[in-house]
Amino acid sequence: MSKSTLLSLEQVLKTCFQSLETNQKVWNSVLLECTPLMGSLGNLGEQLRAFQKVKIANSPLHTFPDLHERLHFKLVQAVDIVLGKLTDKMCSLQQVRDAISNQVSRAFQLYEQNVDTLDLTTVTQRSAITPSIADMLEWLQDSEHYYRQQFLRRKNLFQTLRSDDVSLLETVSQRWESLGSPSGEERLSDIQHKVSFFVESQ
Amino acid sequence: MEVQGFEGTNSGRRTPSAVTGSARKVKDNAADWHNLVLKWDRLNDEGSTIANKIVNLGLSKDSHVNMMMECEETSAPSSSQNAFGNSNELEETCDNLLRVVEKMDHILSKMEKLVSSEQGIINLETFQYGTGGRQIPLFQTWPTSQFAEVSSKLYEAYNQELTLKRAIVQELAHTTNPDLSMVYLSCWLYQPYIDDSVKLLLEGLLLETGHRPS
Amino acid sequence: MEVSLRVLPVDPVDRGTQRIRLGPGLMSSLGLRLGCPVLVALSGGSCLCSAWPRPDLADGFIQIDMKCCSPNLITKTVTPTYLTLSTHPGPTSSPLPHSPTSASPSLSITPVSCPKLKAIRVTVVVQCVEFRKTTSSSFIHELVKDMLKGMHVYNKHVIDVVDYDTDIKLIVIESLNPDSLEAGLVTSKTGVEIMGTRTLRHYRGQLEEQPRCPLGGLEEVSACLRELLRLPLLYPSTLCSLGLSCPRGVLLVGPPGVGKTLLVRRLVREVGASLVTVRGAEVVGSRPGESEERLRAVFGQARAAAEEGPCVLFLDELDSLCPRRTGSSAPENRLVAQLLTLMDGVDQSQRFLIVGATNQPESLDPALRRPGRFDREVVIGAPTVQQRFSILSLLCQAMPVCASVDLAELAKRTTGYVGADLSALCREAAMLAIQGNTQSSLEQVITMDHFTSALKMVLPSCLRSSVGQTDCPAVSWEQIGGLEEVKLKLQQSIEWPMRYPEAFLRLGLSRPRGVLLYGPPGCAKTTLVRAAATSSHCSFLSVSGADLYSPYVGDSEKTLAQLFRQARACAPSILFLDEVDSLIGSRSEGNAPQSAQTRLLSVLLNELDGVGFRTLERRGTEQMLQAEGVVEPHQQEQLEYHQVCNKEVMIVAATNRPESLDSALLRPGRLDQVIYVPPPDLQARVSILQVCTQRMPVDGDVSLEELAGCTENYSGADLENLCKEAALLTLQEDSMEASSIKHQYFLQALQRMTPSLSVQQLQTYKQLFR
Repeated sequence: MSKSTLLSLEQVLKTCFQSLETNQKVWNSVLLECTPLMGSLGNLGEQLRAFQKVKIANSPLHTFPDLHERLHFKLVQAVDIVLGKLTDKMCSLQQVRDAISNQVSRAFQLYEQNVDTLDLTTVTQRSAITPSIADMLEWLQDSEHYYRQQFLRRKNLFQTLRSDDVSLLETVSQRWESLGSPSGEERLSDIQHKVSFFVESQ
Repeated sequence: MEVQGFEGTNSGRRTPSAVTGSARKVKDNAADWHNLVLKWDRLNDEGSTIANKIVNLGLSKDSHVNMMMECEETSAPSSSQNAFGNSNELEETCDNLLRVVEKMDHILSKMEKLVSSEQGIINLETFQYGTGGRQIPLFQTWPTSQFAEVSSKLYEAYNQELTLKRAIVQELAHTTNPDLSMVYLSCWLYQPYIDDSVKLLLEGLLLETGHRPS
Repeated sequence: MEVSLRVLPVDPVDRGTQRIRLGPGLMSSLGLRLGCPVLVALSGGSCLCSAWPRPDLADGFIQIDMKCCSPNLITKTVTPTYLTLSTHPGPTSSPLPHSPTSASPSLSITPVSCPKLKAIRVTVVVQCVEFRKTTSSSFIHELVKDMLKGMHVYNKHVIDVVDYDTDIKLIVIESLNPDSLEAGLVTSKTGVEIMGTRTLRHYRGQLEEQPRCPLGGLEEVSACLRELLRLPLLYPSTLCSLGLSCPRGVLLVGPPGVGKTLLVRRLVREVGASLVTVRGAEVVGSRPGESEERLRAVFGQARAAAEEGPCVLFLDELDSLCPRRTGSSAPENRLVAQLLTLMDGVDQSQRFLIVGATNQPESLDPALRRPGRFDREVVIGAPTVQQRFSILSLLCQAMPVCASVDLAELAKRTTGYVGADLSALCREAAMLAIQGNTQSSLEQVITMDHFTSALKMVLPSCLRSSVGQTDCPAVSWEQIGGLEEVKLKLQQSIEWPMRYPEAFLRLGLSRPRGVLLYGPPGCAKTTLVRAAATSSHCSFLSVSGADLYSPYVGDSEKTLAQLFRQARACAPSILFLDEVDSLIGSRSEGNAPQSAQTRLLSVLLNELDGVGFRTLERRGTEQMLQAEGVVEPHQQEQLEYHQVCNKEVMIVAATNRPESLDSALLRPGRLDQVIYVPPPDLQARVSILQVCTQRMPVDGDVSLEELAGCTENYSGADLENLCKEAALLTLQEDSMEASSIKHQYFLQALQRMTPSLSVQQLQTYKQLFR
């Protein structure tokens, strides 16, 4: 009885970790796509800054009618276009996060349904190649927490972006990079390594 | 999304079209407009890259001058040589940019011809149908005069833009203020005078003449 | 069963995961499964965690991530190294920690069921106000929802979301739906309602437990002030709809120690407003412009605080901040101007009130006190008898006071004591009680004796540094021999009105304003006044000519006026002007019309029947006589009588040259009771001698009557001197071992002395005022 539930739980965990890995790849690729967009935002921020500093009326371009308004409009429009592209990226990130959350909560549900047959000794038992159920559940939770935290941080930064906040636009690239948590990523890959034997075993 | 080059006068007629006469001419003109704008945009991107290069060269020259002032004569010959090479390169790039502007000028003159052609069609219609013009529109809804209007508006916008670009070409290499250079670059890249209404007019023109599937 | 667990810091991996790491053995003994939500009750609060086994599966350790904990644990940073876990037989046991009898603080872990929640109400605590302004509420909602998703939450707990690195720092769980639940799980389907957003500073300020301070006797002032605070702060729209402009500044005026600061703090807490306090000296900086800058910063701070709720900007010691502008370039002038500008700049829509407190309103710049700046002025005077009574009863609530302590009597005897003095008095009494009881560590009770001795040590602060403050020894009537008639008169005119004002009122008897004692020198005038002061238990201010004289023009007058002000501040009081003739003299005696004496006289005349009190000296309110409650204790009633009838200053003057006094002083309404203190007659001399020889071992053959017969025209002082002489003679003639004074020495001493009074001198006294 306990053996069979254990096996089915392990099976679910296996698929969970597999999908976690694929999702991680998706996540990283989306993040990679975001980088040039953030760069162009920073560039636009610089342009806007220069535009604010320069008085067109005092420059050699003063003869051109409403150049100031037109250029400003164009720049803001460019920012908006980039922001629109980023919104799509955020949506993809959210999809990844939700997929992971669903997977993890499904694994937890299965554990909780069978909690009566799985006593604490069983779930904390580990071998050389198979981590304990408790370990794996914990890792799943950690991974999920990592993605949630990362998504929330990035979304928070993204939401604060506005075409009129030039200083934020200028620094957005660095900020975006600083949101990543190397220790969290390290932990994720650590987890992947730890479960690799288990996932590949039949 | 982009429509890559319509059949126009420039690219020879291979597909026989049902329309003839004024309608034919107007339709061809619309296709020409589209192609000219595409060319212009390509030139603009090209010019933008060159302009960026000029600004970077100018900035490095600036920093060079500053450096020379700081370290007097120790590295004078090499740096002066470098500066010389730099200024040579700068001149070359400026020439490139000038050439781009010349090409744009060429496009503009073609645009002007299109405008005068539209005007000619109106004159023809006035001659044929009197001052009230033709009763049945050439294509769908636009009266003939509107084609001429749109054409001249487009021409005005590009003309203004070209004037701006000429001004930029003249000033770009001489400015020392990095912020101003930046503004020049944004002006070049974002073409402030070619605004959304211009795009809209062009789209309307293409739609009316049946180039775009309605 | 009790288990001692070693507390380890939380692993960095576990931070923000709400996990409590336990050994697997402990987990199975508690019947916990993986990730099971448990309520961890610690000393001082509780937190909701999910149970996980330690990765190394070791027992005996505990790591708690306090992501969701009760508010009072948030500010706590120190955790004990060991916790004692008391394991309960079942999950029905109470989650409260046990009494801390064991050495290490106790802890209990109870599994709680966390059903899915339908909805949840939260308050969001953010880092700064800007965040709320720049971020749309829908996005905040989204963030909060994302943050809470999948969390186990406990009602009224606070969730720490710092690790998400947003401007939202804390989420306070206000209520859960269904209501019956104490804890629950937030899922993606749980509705999240945000009740409001507050800044971290504001939230922490509210969490801070301030010691509750008793506030007695200020009910009326606080009611008045509360209304002022409440109306504009809590109901600004009502006032707006009535077309009223709310007062935006209140000035509290009162002597030091009456509790101005305390009152404001207390009221602000009561109203639930946030408080920004400025002490005058904190703002003033040394660099030019620095003070103004700081002042602006303070106003900015108040403005920011006002955006999230009512706020009070409290300017303590306003007089040091804003002195009267003088000259043209004093740095204070700029500060005053800055304050004025800032006060005018406060918008009606900005919901903050400025409260200033000062004890020297006259030194404030007058521009500050006009309407629109400090609109209202609330005067807090030195407490009246009844106020003192309520202050004392408040103070004594926390003390083991003996039942015999009569607080009403104490209140009567502490005239001129302000709140701070009274609390010092109680402290002193308590100290005395402790000192007295050190040997026997029995139950310590403060008795009336302790209070009486403390009264001698703690003097009213409004009399401190006063010229009239004298340390006069208590004198009882019995210590003065003879003069029964004079004593009676004095009792009538001083002691009775002070002690039984209600009787005077009942009979429609007006009390004398002032008493003049005259008579030959050495006839115990001063001692008589002292006895009167002692028996009537009121403040006693005594001044003589030397105290007042000063080489500076106008200084003496100022001192005298100050003296009267102080006497009024601690009324009922007796102001004793000794040697009043030397003090003021007479206008008719050919003094130069502008001499110091003449000016002093006019000050004295003015103070004696000037027009009313100054506003600053106002004390209590007039409606005291209307009994508020139907059944009031008799004692209380009596106190009220005291208070109403007894707020005047009794002036007692003494002179031995009554003829040189200005006649204006003696007319009714000023010093209207003139009492002649005659030299002692035979009977009086006998009793004086009796009093003098009370402590002397007098031989049996000494006849005091005979001595009294031989000492015609001797004053009381002479008689006392005589006894001293006799004692000295005894020591001189007999030996140092002499045990008693013989009659002969009295006679010898008598021969050496001459009476200080002469017959014709006495004659002039007698003829005066007859």
